Amino acid sequence: MAVTKNEHGQTNSINQVRYGCAVGALYSVVSIPGAVPIGHCGPGCMDKQYTSLAFYNGFQGSGYSGGSVSPSVNAGEKEVVFGGEKRLDELIKSTLKIIEGDLFVVLNGCIGELVGDDVGAVVSKYQKQGVPIVYAETGGFKGNNFVGHEIITTAIIDQYVDKYTLNKDHREKGLINVWSELPYQNTFWRGDLSELKRILEGAGFKVNILFGGKSGGVEEWKTIPHAQFNLVVSPWLGLKTAKHLEQKYNQPYLHIPVLPIGAQQTAAFIRQVVEYAGIDPATAESFIEQEEQEYYYYLEHFNDFYSEYWWGLPATYAVVGDSTYNLALNKFLVNQLGLIPKRQIITDNTPEKYREAIAQEYQQLAHDVATTVDFVEDGYIVGKLLRETDFGHKPPIIFGTTWERDTAKELKGKIVEVGFPASYEVVLNKSYIGYRGALQLIEKIFTAAISASA
Amino acid sequence: MGKINLRMAEVQNRERRLGTIIAWNGTASDLHTQSSYQQRGSGCKTNKDGCRLCEAKGPFTQGSVCSEQMVECQAGNVRDAVLIQHSPIGCGAGQVPYNSIYRNGLAMRGHKVENIRIINTNLQETDMVFGALGKLKQSIDDAWERYSPKAIFIGTSCPTGIIGEDIESVARKKQEELGIPVIPLFCEGFRSKHWSTGFDATQHGILRQIVKKSTKKQEDLVNVISLWGSDIFTPMFKEFNLRVNYVVDMASVSDLEQLSEAAATVGFCYTLSSYMAAALEQEFGVPEVKAPMPYGFAGTDAWLRELGKVTHREELVEQYIAKEHARVKPKIAELKKKLQGLKGYVATGSAYAHGLIQVLRELDIQVDGSLVFHHDPVYDSGDAREDSLGHLIEHYGEVPSFNVSNRQQYQFYGLLQEVKPDFILIRHNGLAPLASKLGIPAAPLGDEHIAIGYEGIVNLGEAILNILAHKKFHDDLKKHAKLPYKQWWLEQKDPYILAKHPELIDA
Repeated sequence: MAVTKNEHGQTNSINQVRYGCAVGALYSVVSIPGAVPIGHCGPGCMDKQYTSLAFYNGFQGSGYSGGSVSPSVNAGEKEVVFGGEKRLDELIKSTLKIIEGDLFVVLNGCIGELVGDDVGAVVSKYQKQGVPIVYAETGGFKGNNFVGHEIITTAIIDQYVDKYTLNKDHREKGLINVWSELPYQNTFWRGDLSELKRILEGAGFKVNILFGGKSGGVEEWKTIPHAQFNLVVSPWLGLKTAKHLEQKYNQPYLHIPVLPIGAQQTAAFIRQVVEYAGIDPATAESFIEQEEQEYYYYLEHFNDFYSEYWWGLPATYAVVGDSTYNLALNKFLVNQLGLIPKRQIITDNTPEKYREAIAQEYQQLAHDVATTVDFVEDGYIVGKLLRETDFGHKPPIIFGTTWERDTAKELKGKIVEVGFPASYEVVLNKSYIGYRGALQLIEKIFTAAISASA
Repeated sequence: MGKINLRMAEVQNRERRLGTIIAWNGTASDLHTQSSYQQRGSGCKTNKDGCRLCEAKGPFTQGSVCSEQMVECQAGNVRDAVLIQHSPIGCGAGQVPYNSIYRNGLAMRGHKVENIRIINTNLQETDMVFGALGKLKQSIDDAWERYSPKAIFIGTSCPTGIIGEDIESVARKKQEELGIPVIPLFCEGFRSKHWSTGFDATQHGILRQIVKKSTKKQEDLVNVISLWGSDIFTPMFKEFNLRVNYVVDMASVSDLEQLSEAAATVGFCYTLSSYMAAALEQEFGVPEVKAPMPYGFAGTDAWLRELGKVTHREELVEQYIAKEHARVKPKIAELKKKLQGLKGYVATGSAYAHGLIQVLRELDIQVDGSLVFHHDPVYDSGDAREDSLGHLIEHYGEVPSFNVSNRQQYQFYGLLQEVKPDFILIRHNGLAPLASKLGIPAAPLGDEHIAIGYEGIVNLGEAILNILAHKKFHDDLKKHAKLPYKQWWLEQKDPYILAKHPELIDA
């Protein structure tokens, strides 16, 4: 069968991968405190996802149940020929004996799916015994880890939360489930999610952040049905889960496509959520006021540098990355810093049905600034598009990944690694969103811009 | 031991060729006795699978590593070639770690730093049903158009193996069409229980389709089979008027072509070099330096003398040995004072571990335990001089707790409890984080050349002093980190108990 090329010349080929596969969502499991993934896959599958997503991407680390902890059947020829159900069964049994966990998530990989293993049958035996365990069909050919993430969240909701939550009809006003960045894939997800939680709590909400150190772990997941509504803060990821919850529990959702960075976006974001929730805006307003006071205290001091630095600062930029970060950065860079967008490339293989709506957002970055966005996953094409871009007389800042280092050098520009893979960044709790994250982002951008100048 | 068969497109995996195992527990000398290197090397066959070593495999396993990853870090690291991964996108995630290693390796060797050239064919669900040779052809064309490579490697994957893609025929056709080697490498993760088969798969493809068949010889050229480590061989070999041909990582295709013209082949680790070195001797008449590996005084002396003999530079080698002994001995004496009373532990690939233990013992560091990721009872040449475990035991003594565990962290816990080392030497991720939570610092050996030769003894001693300083960090962490293992498991004295008593999981 002949392969067709798209308008950028993209074929099936992918150079410089920018996401993992559906099994990579095992890191969504790892990011829920107390949850343990079990891989029904080949010997290298889990290691590949680990070394790419959790190691050479900000060196985020394996935490409690990732890295070499994660059980895996390490399927061999025998499992391929005779099937791997028996092997999975003994692995689950021994995992329960050895590993301490609140919830176990079995991820079926390419091998299990292709040889037709009935993973559901193996797992349901344990479910019937009251073991907190769920399974998900996450064969790598099903799609990337964005796809896998929602397969997993749905599996946990349907097979665990639904079963163990008491009073599923009970709703708590002001309690929100947040669905936003993809854990580990977004290099700064930990810091970002905790800033998101801080902002929403500051505005008067109770927040199920669900992933990361600020999450209450598996216990918190059991309160998902109690939330007043689901909040999706991303252009598309999480929508599927929110719609599923709407159907399942008649729980409404609010979709805000732009992850807020900086005072303007964050205040707008808070007001939108408060209004939707119908809670008293007084707490939110006083929080905004307090935060703005602090935020602009710093910006006022930053101003000397921004308006008087003798040796020149970059004016134009490109962003290459996930839709969530890409759009969020664009809104901030244009509106807060007054930088000029030249090339925007979304690399997360956004489902077709969302692309037009996302492109529309770039048409209205500010009242007087619009730009276009390209959807590309092949790094070779990304490099080509960047090199073809006219950045004007000064070298640009490239907000991208490690893959863009060579191109940034060629363009004599500066690279700020903001997404997978960020192999030359060490990330602990750094955040680039909200009020506090925006300040860190400004520090990062301009340190990168001037540190190489002499 | 059978002969290496280069007529087959697929490499024979290690367990069939060498009897490789990935789980074992005992002492170094027991393992050595059971491996019966010499008998095996001379071709004994006690049953249909060769002389099988018993293997302590149990029901619980943690994620390991696959052959395809080794293909990425070998074939993917050839400078003017392209590797195509015929697979779903998940296998492509490997591009990220191997790019980082490649970039830093290029910098270390003084080459231009640039991104790794690996293309993924991005197979999807319908491809699993209908096959995807069209996509493979397209990606080969893309590789050609994008990079004008001197060679194209194609790595297989678990899914392409299961759906039975005829990769060979596509490769053959494209090779004719493009006029460069297009080389299928069979490295499905499920094909071999140990990832080192991926080294062999890459080397097999290179031997079949890149190495020149010419009879021309370069009498001062020595093949060094290595990874991306720092260039310690060029200055060393200069003393003997020899030049280095580094393969496979960081090599150019023409470096690979001239493998057949060299005066000799050496390796720093038989796990890595076994297949290619033996095949170069068997098929191209390039002698393999058959000697203990160059670690510690005894190993390095013997290795250099054999190199001198094979390349007819005995005298230069003797001068070098004398000079180097005199140079490093005072430094080592100083280091020994600082390292006095320390206990070390080695957790790496098989032959490399044997070498590192030698260096530690040379520094008077106590080594009571080691974990190797796999064990090859014999190497491809079958020559007893390459019996690295035997050499370790003969010259440096017994290692009482010697275990084979394929990166199984849950077992590593028990092994550390048993040995209680002050530090560990490690390669490959996954074990050091656990040691760290127990307050034990690890020296990760990214530069695999650090411990080689006489200077290697000094290097390793200094590296250990550096990491011991990290202990403060790990001791602090120890007080706050929670291990993921149940109390029942933490209390087990025998890390292999489930292999011996699998019925325990029913209790």
